[in-house]
Amino acid sequence: MPFRLEKRPEPSRTMLYLTPAAAVLLTMIVGAIIFSAIGYNGLGAVREIFFTPLTNSYKWQDLGVKAAPLIIIGVGLSIAYRANVWNIGAEGQYIVGGLAGTWVALATYSMSGPWILPLMILAGVVGGMLYAAIPAFLKTRLNVNEILTSLMLTYASVQLIYYLIRAPWKDPMGMGFPQTRLFAESARLPTIIPGTIVHLGVPIAIIVALVAWFIMSRSVFGYQMRVVGTAPHAARYGGFSENKTIWLALLVSGGLAGLAGVLEVAGPFQRMVPGFPANYGFTAIIVAFLGRLNPLGVIFAGIVLAITFVGGEVAQTTIGLPNAATGIFQSMMLFFLLAGDLLVRYRIRRTAVQPSRSAA
Amino acid sequence: MDLLIPIFVTLVGAASPILIAALGELVVEKAGVLNLGVEGMMLVGAIAGFAAQFYTGNPYFALVCGAAAGVAVSLIFGVLTLSLSTNQTATGLALTIFGTGLSALAGAPFSARPVQLMAPLFPPELATHPIWRVIFGYAAPVYFSLIMVFVLWYFLKKTRSGLILRAVGENDLSAHSIGYSVVGVRYAAVAFGGAMAGIAGACFPLLLTPQWAERMTAGRGWIAVALVVFASWRPFRLLAGAYLFGLVMTMELYAKAGSGPLSAIPSELWAALPYLATIAVLVLISLRRDGSTNAPACLGKPFMPSN
Repeated sequence: MPFRLEKRPEPSRTMLYLTPAAAVLLTMIVGAIIFSAIGYNGLGAVREIFFTPLTNSYKWQDLGVKAAPLIIIGVGLSIAYRANVWNIGAEGQYIVGGLAGTWVALATYSMSGPWILPLMILAGVVGGMLYAAIPAFLKTRLNVNEILTSLMLTYASVQLIYYLIRAPWKDPMGMGFPQTRLFAESARLPTIIPGTIVHLGVPIAIIVALVAWFIMSRSVFGYQMRVVGTAPHAARYGGFSENKTIWLALLVSGGLAGLAGVLEVAGPFQRMVPGFPANYGFTAIIVAFLGRLNPLGVIFAGIVLAITFVGGEVAQTTIGLPNAATGIFQSMMLFFLLAGDLLVRYRIRRTAVQPSRSAA
Repeated sequence: MDLLIPIFVTLVGAASPILIAALGELVVEKAGVLNLGVEGMMLVGAIAGFAAQFYTGNPYFALVCGAAAGVAVSLIFGVLTLSLSTNQTATGLALTIFGTGLSALAGAPFSARPVQLMAPLFPPELATHPIWRVIFGYAAPVYFSLIMVFVLWYFLKKTRSGLILRAVGENDLSAHSIGYSVVGVRYAAVAFGGAMAGIAGACFPLLLTPQWAERMTAGRGWIAVALVVFASWRPFRLLAGAYLFGLVMTMELYAKAGSGPLSAIPSELWAALPYLATIAVLVLISLRRDGSTNAPACLGKPFMPSN
């Protein structure tokens, strides 16, 4: 074999930041080939999915609106995954956060005032935290795997939406549609740029990421999460409680998913509808990894994934690419990124020419 | 009796795909690999099986296509986790996201097109009496799942190959040092898991709802993963767990059909019940456990021989 792998004494920082970009690039190349091979316009698909959302300024506001929930949830997941806590039920916590906000909006329907929106947001965060507290409790008290519990709760929460909007929360004027009434003015998230759909959630997402970056890199809390994740024995020796870390990881990631949920229902939707679960919670898993579990990286990764969402819709209308293609591009990105991790830990060396050959 | 027999027959039909997928995952985990991509592999198997049934009408060919599709996508997971030592949890999740997207893309042309359900294996004359229906009233995958419970129990407990597989899962370094190919055994296990998940997925259009719907496996792959934990990695306990879930899902069907005391409960609660029951059984098993979990010691850890 002309090449061999050699373990690096320390993970390569260059590769750590280079591989996400390489993964996106490889996804474009391989995606174009695969989609051409199965009879679609492969180059067109890559152009529409990855470039049109950037070059067409009308799409920029869509990008911001789609990136905001991905960044908020992705930041929370990046903190949890750092601590080796596998919360993959962010979609469920997002849903319960949205439902908690909806509950406040409906309860205050006849009222108005600047206090309603903050109350909704608070309810959303608490809702997401409570829903994430279930896997935290089961993990810390009974050692039940948090991957399975958080995911099962996601499936259950979808049914909770269906029940609430079919029966107790159904819009009385909705002509039988399973949805709540449109929120009152005070319960709607304001836009920050007049005449666009860019709502308050967009700056909130950036602030969340910056604050999280500061906390993770500069505080004892951040240190604890990182140490428990990478060196659990050292963490125990250093007096960091593993159970406390699990609780913190799930509450933070659940609370942020809940925040994304309430911002989404008060912003773009302004009512609870069956289509509220939009897979942000699952896509944010890719965002967290593509962002290298670093809150600043998550901002970029969130924008990249938002581009594929917006671009996927564009490709659907312009070149008739099925919407499902977006998911394939997104998961390919994660595959390539994970494969690229090899280059972070190992380096490829050309094996030396054997001396016997030159002697002969 | 008039009610119990149809309930039991429906229960077995609902449980069998989960049982097949869970048996595959059990073998994968026994070899020390945690593949969380079962749901994705099932979906790919479901659309492959559906398409084959749609074009050929031969359900056995459809099952083979489902298995082949499952193997194909499981090898993506194999290459990443076994050859490139990627994180198994993240790679499994990626496989599920990929399988969901791939099946939705491949299935888009087939929406709202029905196929033929798979007929029972035995001639209907054998199943005329209700009691005989309980034994002879099912399609081939049901008998396949039962045979596989026994075969895998025998394979893991009584055969040399099964011993090697368990050794690889319990102590990969020792297995490596006495000359077994850890990576080779794990590739075989992952491919077997892919085949079983693919067959399980193909059962959905062939046995349960004779059409294609996006995400039609509805989390059953994840329930299969949970059942392996519930069963403490034992095939016969897996059988009991799968039938328990079959019962829960059958109750949902009866409740949705309308009359009786079951229909007083909102249908959404019934739909959520399999997932809540999964959490409940995981809690139960953790309470019953006395210290040892019976999980393969190398489960989820990449194999890193210090060469």
